[in-house]
Amino acid sequence: MVAGRVLRASVVLLLSGCSGETKAAVDPGTLPWDAVEAHARGTSVTWRMWRGDPSINAYVDRWVAPRLRQRYGITLHTVEGQGPEIVNQLLLEKQAGAMGSADLVWINGEAFHNLREADLLYGPWAHRLPNAAFVDSASSTIQRDFEQPTDGYESPWGAVQFALIYDSARTPHPPGTIAELAAWIRRHPGRFTHDQGFTGTTFLKVLLYALNGGVATFQGGFEPERYHRGSERVWTWLDSLRPAFWRGGAAYPPGVAELHRLFANGEVDFSMSMNQNEVVTKVRQGVLPRTARPLLIRDGTIANTHYLGVPGNAANPAGAMVVANFLLSPEAQLEKLKPEVWADGSVLATPRLPPAWAGQFRALEAASHALPLDSLTKYARPEVAPEYHERLAADWRARIRAGGS
Amino acid sequence: MIADRGGRHAVPLSALLAALPTLVGVGYAVAAATGLIGDGGRGFSLDRTAHVLAEHVVWRGLFWTLGTAAAATALATAGAVLLAVTFRGTGAADRAARALAVLPMAVPHLVAAAVFVLLLGQSGFLARALYAAGIARAPDSMPALIYDPWGTGFVLALAWKELPFLSLLAFTILATRGSQLEETARSLGAAPGEVFRRVTWPMLWRGILPGVIAVFVFIAGSYEAAVLLAPSNPLPLPLLTFERYTDPDLERRPDAFVLVLVGLAISAAAVAAHEWARSRQESFEA
Repeated sequence: MVAGRVLRASVVLLLSGCSGETKAAVDPGTLPWDAVEAHARGTSVTWRMWRGDPSINAYVDRWVAPRLRQRYGITLHTVEGQGPEIVNQLLLEKQAGAMGSADLVWINGEAFHNLREADLLYGPWAHRLPNAAFVDSASSTIQRDFEQPTDGYESPWGAVQFALIYDSARTPHPPGTIAELAAWIRRHPGRFTHDQGFTGTTFLKVLLYALNGGVATFQGGFEPERYHRGSERVWTWLDSLRPAFWRGGAAYPPGVAELHRLFANGEVDFSMSMNQNEVVTKVRQGVLPRTARPLLIRDGTIANTHYLGVPGNAANPAGAMVVANFLLSPEAQLEKLKPEVWADGSVLATPRLPPAWAGQFRALEAASHALPLDSLTKYARPEVAPEYHERLAADWRARIRAGGS
Repeated sequence: MIADRGGRHAVPLSALLAALPTLVGVGYAVAAATGLIGDGGRGFSLDRTAHVLAEHVVWRGLFWTLGTAAAATALATAGAVLLAVTFRGTGAADRAARALAVLPMAVPHLVAAAVFVLLLGQSGFLARALYAAGIARAPDSMPALIYDPWGTGFVLALAWKELPFLSLLAFTILATRGSQLEETARSLGAAPGEVFRRVTWPMLWRGILPGVIAVFVFIAGSYEAAVLLAPSNPLPLPLLTFERYTDPDLERRPDAFVLVLVGLAISAAAVAAHEWARSRQESFEA
């Protein structure tokens, strides 16, 4: 224990040496919105976010950042980091008692769960954003993040739905259910796989729901017994089909980008995405073939929301709130929805918007959605407690991936 | 007197300063692996260490990493020696060949790995060329060279990437120390094969050994090439380490630090092996 204390002290010294002087912190939660904006003017906001998609980076760097500078005098800095990396960074900063290196973080699901557990988020603040009035508050997938109430500790930013991707030229009659998918995989050995990352785990969760009578079985918090029985069916399903998977189920692409590459090069006949519209953007970019289409599994596919949080040790929470509010504006949500930009779903309720904006959202949704909205809504299933996601990922690695040679 | 005393103390002090960042890192890793510090830490315990070291996937990953690093290092070393001996002349052709051999040093590791994905994938350039020539019929009739359990693509990519570095070392050794000793051996009646075996090779090996050790340690810790080319089973040690470090379950954080220490043990063993080899050489020379 003594060694631990000494080490902790030395880490604190090392880190606090780098963090510079601390500003007198003002809690923007107590200020009227005008004062928050005034406080944010002339500051810089550091946003830790996933930087792995050029379309998202272009939207943030070339569309969002210049407008923040013009209208609010805010300089936006983006730094790389997603989910667990953000959690690690904030935990380390907390141990060291250091001032935060980020003002805004892009999170959802288990990262939000871990950050809330460790009390690392500033809040509640999200309900104070003027644009929060437009948010679709009737949507359970927006108000609850993997079943956890957001409680104003994160502000919704985008809404997406899981979809398979197929090539309508290669597969004119794609399977529509999990049972049909299983039959298809058996008839076409070596032509299907999923990735080892977040999207692959979401596919496992789609299987978990479909093979166990739907999402309702797993709602209402994590229960080990229900997980155990439910996941057994997933492992049995995978074990029986494994010989017909790509590479006989002995190897899996590391991430969804590699799966897209295998699909585009004709090594497999399906890819998948956590955004039903990604296929439209990727076809425009020439990454996927022109005949690539999204496919909703009729057993139900997972819809979820991604959010923005403010770390409890953020140097500039006022600036972060102004940025989050701008990102929630009809203007920024509409731009983000455009298929040539990102095609990320809006979190705003169209009927709540001023009529001019509502018309533009309706026109864009009618023109550009790869899938009709009513069928998206019909097959959308919410996320369940984050432990299901964590356990599925860990057990898949131990039981399926490590046993495949 | 003062200068003398200062000089004597300066050596261990500067060595300590140079080692300090590593020592702090090792200290943190030990504390985090044993639960003294960090997330999932509940006071000193060797439970996670015992748990990790009992895992089959860890040992498979470790042996895969050691095996592929050794294979890639051996290939690169053999290539470097071959190039150095073949193109050691002062003519324009030899000089051009030496320059070309060193050129890929400028290619970043990530780019090299991506090039090998495009080259060796089952839908890559090689597969397309074989298909066009009528040798291969479909993507899956081409043997798997990336994500394959043997790490073929990984070994070839890293051997190719490290070849210029080891070649440069080998060229320099032959250029600065080569001819005289070899000529002496020849004038004493040694046959060409004997000159290589008894003069050129020992001289080259001794000179590039530190480079060979550095290359081995680097490859064993390489993440970016592994993430693009390596199989998911066995999962290479660096990928396994990062996976545990970014696991949403915070209870698995100490695992990552146990694996970091395993990686460190590989490096330490390689450096110790080098020291041992060098001291043996020195005792021969004395």
